[in-house]
Amino acid sequence: MNRADFIIYWGGNPADCHPRHFTKYTLTPKGKHVPMGRKGRTMVLVDVRETPSVRAADIFLQVRPGKDFEVITTLRALVKNQPVDQARVAETGLTLAQLQDLVGRMKNARFGVIFFGMGLSMTRGKHMNSAAVLALVAELNAFTKFVCMPMRGHGNVTGADVVMRWTTGFPFGVNLCRGYPRFNPGEFSTVDLLVRGDNDAALILGADPGATMPQPAIDHLARIPTIVLDPKVTRTSRLARVHITTAAMGISAPGTVYRMDEIPLPLRPILQSPYPTDEVVIRRIHEQVKAKPAWLPASFKKVPCA
Amino acid sequence: MTHTVVKNATCTFCGCVCDDMELHAEGDRIVKTKLACGLGEAWFKNHTAEHLYPDALIDGQPSSVEEAVQAAADYLYEADMPLVYGLSNITCEAQRAAVALAERIGGVVDSHTSL
Repeated sequence: MNRADFIIYWGGNPADCHPRHFTKYTLTPKGKHVPMGRKGRTMVLVDVRETPSVRAADIFLQVRPGKDFEVITTLRALVKNQPVDQARVAETGLTLAQLQDLVGRMKNARFGVIFFGMGLSMTRGKHMNSAAVLALVAELNAFTKFVCMPMRGHGNVTGADVVMRWTTGFPFGVNLCRGYPRFNPGEFSTVDLLVRGDNDAALILGADPGATMPQPAIDHLARIPTIVLDPKVTRTSRLARVHITTAAMGISAPGTVYRMDEIPLPLRPILQSPYPTDEVVIRRIHEQVKAKPAWLPASFKKVPCA
Repeated sequence: MTHTVVKNATCTFCGCVCDDMELHAEGDRIVKTKLACGLGEAWFKNHTAEHLYPDALIDGQPSSVEEAVQAAADYLYEADMPLVYGLSNITCEAQRAAVALAERIGGVVDSHTSL
């Protein structure tokens, strides 16, 4: 807000999904180094279809669905003045002139930002698309200042990344089975684990995978003992063995939440819940587990010391 | 009915986490929001402090929190590879407790980020 004069939204529709993003954080506020506010900024929207966010954009680039990775790769080539194949550019739904114009604007920006949404990170290419954006932004820093940020959906999903980072060293999908953290998305990420049927119990905290995940993952959650902590009885609660109702974060549960730019903010709950908070319930479960004898594998044999 | 006002309240519906709301509550529900967007207003008004749901359910039957905590601990203790998933709609303090529990039970801890 204080610095960016060139803003790209890629694969997202903030006008509908993050309604105050433009007015509170990115476009309209007058910033320390962008005193003109909206007039001092250029906004480019990249998406596969026209959404209500188009009205807020200066330039709208409509990419053919599933061609984001190709567009980003072409941009990376153009940034480094490498030759590109005209026919392949045409397949993306954009023209070479449009992409050259975009690269020119990126390089001439004083401070650029790319916000990328699930239209990029959850479609064909998935995490490869996100990785390509990170590479593009890293390379642009040879010319000007450029950063990127994912548009986060859930309230404290950024907090989950931050807390897991400082406790285990990794942001998500952390396996502690061996007593030390291991990180391997695709192997230890939830959908993959559940679809393969690797887990033999699940503790679901403030999420409703029963309504959102692929059917094979839901089927596995119904097979194993699933425990749900949620302010409401959800679809997942109905297939779970145990459900515990908890106070809603920010409404009746106090605490800290991270904004998507990793700024921690305190909550000011207005209501008093009749239910305990998630933190209290998790700690109580932990106490109960702790009271049991330490777990050792069935095949464990004590090796005598020489 | 008691009328309470909280200024500079924080909305946790989406990742924007706007922290400039003014909330008005009467009794156990929020009746008015200032500066909240359409999504935020719906979020605030949809949650009440009423006792709408049973404290806990075991196999679909209402139970006490104490029994449910015990059952949860038993299941997690017995499991070889439990999964702790979600964490996106709970506070950082609860997330920290969840990671500690995952370490104790030797499980996998994961959030919506991996989707």
